Amino acid sequence: MTTAATHSTEVHAPPPPDTGLRRFTRAGWLRVLWTVPLFFGIGLAIVCGIRWLAGWDPVWDGVPILTVELVTVPLGFLVGIGGFDYWAYYASGRRTIPDDHSGHGAKSWRDYFRINTDHKVIGVQYVVTTIFFFCVGGLFAMMFRAELAQPGDQYFSPQTFNVLISNHAALMIFLFIIPAFAGLGNYVIPLMIGAADMAFPRLNALSFWLLPIAGFMLIAGMAAPGGGPSAGWTCYAPLCSHQPVGQVFFNMAVQWAGASSIMTALNFLVTIITMRAPGMTFWRMPLLVWANFTTSLLVVLATPFIAGSQFFVLFDRVLHMNFFEYQQGGYVLGYQHIFWFYSHPAVYIMMLPGFGIISEVISVMSRKPIFGYRLMALSLMAILVLGFSVWAHHMFVAGMAGWLRVPMMVTSMVIAVPTGIKIFSWLATMWEGRLHFTTPMLFALGFLSMFVIGGLSGIYLASVPIDIHASDTYFIVAHIHYVLFGGSVFTIFAGIYYWFPKMTGRMYSERLGKLHFWLTFIGFNLTFFPMHYIGLQGMPRRVADYASRFADINLFISIASFGLGASTIVFLYNMARSWAHGPVAEANPWRALTLEWQVSSPPPVFNFDEIPQVVGNPYEYGVPGARHAIFGAPKPEPVGAD
Amino acid sequence: MSIRLAPGVRRGSIIQLVVIGLIAGAICTAVALMIPWLPVAAGKEADRIHFVYWFATVISIVVFSVVAAVLVYEVWKFRVPPDDMSDGPPTHGHTALEIVWTAIPAVLVTSISIVSAIVLAKNGEAGQNPVVVKVVAQQFAWEFTYSNGKTYGFLTLPEGQHTKLDITSKDVIHSFWVPELSQKQDAVPGQHNTLVVTPTRTGTFPVICTELCGLGHSVMRSHVTIVPSTQFTKFIKGGGSSANGPPGLAVFQKNGCGSCHTLQAAGATGKIGPDLDQLADLAAKAGHGSLEEFTRESIVNPSAYIEHGYSDLMPHTFKSQIPPADLDQLVQYLVENANAKK
Repeated sequence: MTTAATHSTEVHAPPPPDTGLRRFTRAGWLRVLWTVPLFFGIGLAIVCGIRWLAGWDPVWDGVPILTVELVTVPLGFLVGIGGFDYWAYYASGRRTIPDDHSGHGAKSWRDYFRINTDHKVIGVQYVVTTIFFFCVGGLFAMMFRAELAQPGDQYFSPQTFNVLISNHAALMIFLFIIPAFAGLGNYVIPLMIGAADMAFPRLNALSFWLLPIAGFMLIAGMAAPGGGPSAGWTCYAPLCSHQPVGQVFFNMAVQWAGASSIMTALNFLVTIITMRAPGMTFWRMPLLVWANFTTSLLVVLATPFIAGSQFFVLFDRVLHMNFFEYQQGGYVLGYQHIFWFYSHPAVYIMMLPGFGIISEVISVMSRKPIFGYRLMALSLMAILVLGFSVWAHHMFVAGMAGWLRVPMMVTSMVIAVPTGIKIFSWLATMWEGRLHFTTPMLFALGFLSMFVIGGLSGIYLASVPIDIHASDTYFIVAHIHYVLFGGSVFTIFAGIYYWFPKMTGRMYSERLGKLHFWLTFIGFNLTFFPMHYIGLQGMPRRVADYASRFADINLFISIASFGLGASTIVFLYNMARSWAHGPVAEANPWRALTLEWQVSSPPPVFNFDEIPQVVGNPYEYGVPGARHAIFGAPKPEPVGAD
Repeated sequence: MSIRLAPGVRRGSIIQLVVIGLIAGAICTAVALMIPWLPVAAGKEADRIHFVYWFATVISIVVFSVVAAVLVYEVWKFRVPPDDMSDGPPTHGHTALEIVWTAIPAVLVTSISIVSAIVLAKNGEAGQNPVVVKVVAQQFAWEFTYSNGKTYGFLTLPEGQHTKLDITSKDVIHSFWVPELSQKQDAVPGQHNTLVVTPTRTGTFPVICTELCGLGHSVMRSHVTIVPSTQFTKFIKGGGSSANGPPGLAVFQKNGCGSCHTLQAAGATGKIGPDLDQLADLAAKAGHGSLEEFTRESIVNPSAYIEHGYSDLMPHTFKSQIPPADLDQLVQYLVENANAKK
């Protein structure tokens, strides 16, 4: 890691080192040491003070104190690490330097552990952090697969089992898949559109640091009295409002992760809309940029709904507001409508950036232009729009208004059409191409085949009668893993391998990469394919104990899942070793046309020594003399001048 | 065949594609037919749902085979060595092809939607005079109440008659499912949902809770026995006793105590709460009054004493839920059992 991303150009001299007490007042980990206790005290004072003034007994009440502390302690951390310094200076009238680049770029590994405004550093911070949580979530999965290897109770109490399944899903969704895409996008998007950085670098730095807060909050909840969050990642009311207090950690962690997502999405949108290089019209944007553009729209529009749903259940618990308490006139199913109004679009938030990565990889590795580029971009937009009209297909058996079932089934079916367009277009892109089976390409093809299976089982679940049979069984578990593991996770791996040389300046080992792919691909199918069967046969999801007739097949699944887990070791070893000792990568090892490959690996601190002039489409492989961009062009016309 | 489907598709490659597609289709069909994916249906609704399932399966096999054929063919034919520096032909698209692969999937999913909508409507029809059973779910047990007012911890249904289940919950969301009947419905507190089942064969099948409802979720199981309709009439008329044995046992079963507690006499093997066969020892250890007082307190106010190694998880609803007479019977039953075990 020490050799990572030492940028070639030094733009600003580092500030003089501080000595003595000043080291404790400057942004950084030493300041965190006292701002966290300070904000802990502030939180305590707010709650106890209000309770004392109002005359409520007892003054010292654990649940409200915890709820407020889960806001103030992370704020204390962010204040300490320096997330608000610039704005605080500005607001208090102290001198600020708008283009102060002292916190920009990384010269040593230490620069990855502080507030950093360089989108490339932030991208790496995101990817490494999310892989950490991926490993934790994976370990949880193997723990409960050990429990499920036999019927009956073996290693964990039902409470611990429920915590493990809940946190496995929550970590994988909120702390791995969604932010891993945000991380890859963070690194690549400004480079791809020819920008020096994101539109709001300081906001970008802040959004990253919200993420470890959310992750450690979920994990810390497991130490709460009564156990951690245990109502599943869906956290259905009224169950979750009456769980032990560990559930509050889940409610609040989702807020922090959600805030991080929303801020990053706004940043992506403004960056993509306003900072494209001259000549980069929307129809000349790489599909990865298109994909993140649509994803960011989804995030901005949908994420507030899950924030709302978690605040509502929290208010039910802490403030007795009774949104979902039926005895007090609450509407139980209201929770599910609000929750799925986010969480179905979230499926596309977890898939569209992957579609973008696959488009890049398949086009480059097939040495052919993307087939039907405009339809590919438009189908992303179609999924964005349709994605908001299908949420209630998660509620076909919930007892919601009966008339909603058929319309929601039809929209859920129709969304298969734009998705099908993408699959067929990738297949057509490869037709008569020159296929190079590098590791990213293998993961892309693995994605393509597995996502087709996940998509087809999705058609089964969109059909109301089949869903009535299969809902909340292991068939759902199989489907979601074919979509989110065979789909999203494979694309994340494809993206990490594809941009690894750009991010680290070194090449990963192809041999280990391919080994990783095959172990993952085989382990994945052995683990999840049999789940279709046990689900349809009658095994419900989220059970610690099950009918003994499913014993053999569950043992098989558990063993396969350990193999799948072990395949990650190959990945981690390959990444760590190649990052430290891999052969130095060329600027453009894949012979790609998009802009990020036209600069050095890793790129200069401000990406481009001169702003490129975009003159053509990004995928013109095989077109004689075609260029995507030229450097050193005469002063260009502003975008949109024609 | 003189039509060029797409650039580069010739007769030879079409034949190869078709062969790969047929092989893929044959493998998928074998997997679909040789593994018993679905439980044997025991209801009319299940038969219809199985029909939709097979309808979707045929379409899925065709789609998957097409994709597999193209993918396998491409991997086989278009692979180049790493040092190959050439590019593919610069094909940018093919409007007719793009229209085809937009239109055909649209038609396929529309057909599945139509079949599904018809089956959904039919599966909701309960006919003129259905048998009505009230289903009440709670953590972590089911209770079934019949037109004669009797309540049981298991379900009995007549063969060949429409039955309308009126499903609700006392605490959190549960979900009623019998895999052999295929029908499923969430039990939502404060709301009555209906589900129609029409059993077509006799037998005993599991009733499973499929919605995560807390600690005892995985043991929240009961069973349904489907009997000939004459036997069912006798069952209703006779007001059949819910359980043979002391009245306290019926209360124990009706309230689902066995989901969490072990009690040999009731055949209960729950492990979430303390073993009730050890009740006498527990009472002595707790020191909360006599065995009888301790038993009563633990039911109406379960938080008063928590045995070491267990958590404060038992619902507080039993105080209001069990009528006083029933509670007396339950306490008496548990105390007698505990004394017998001593």
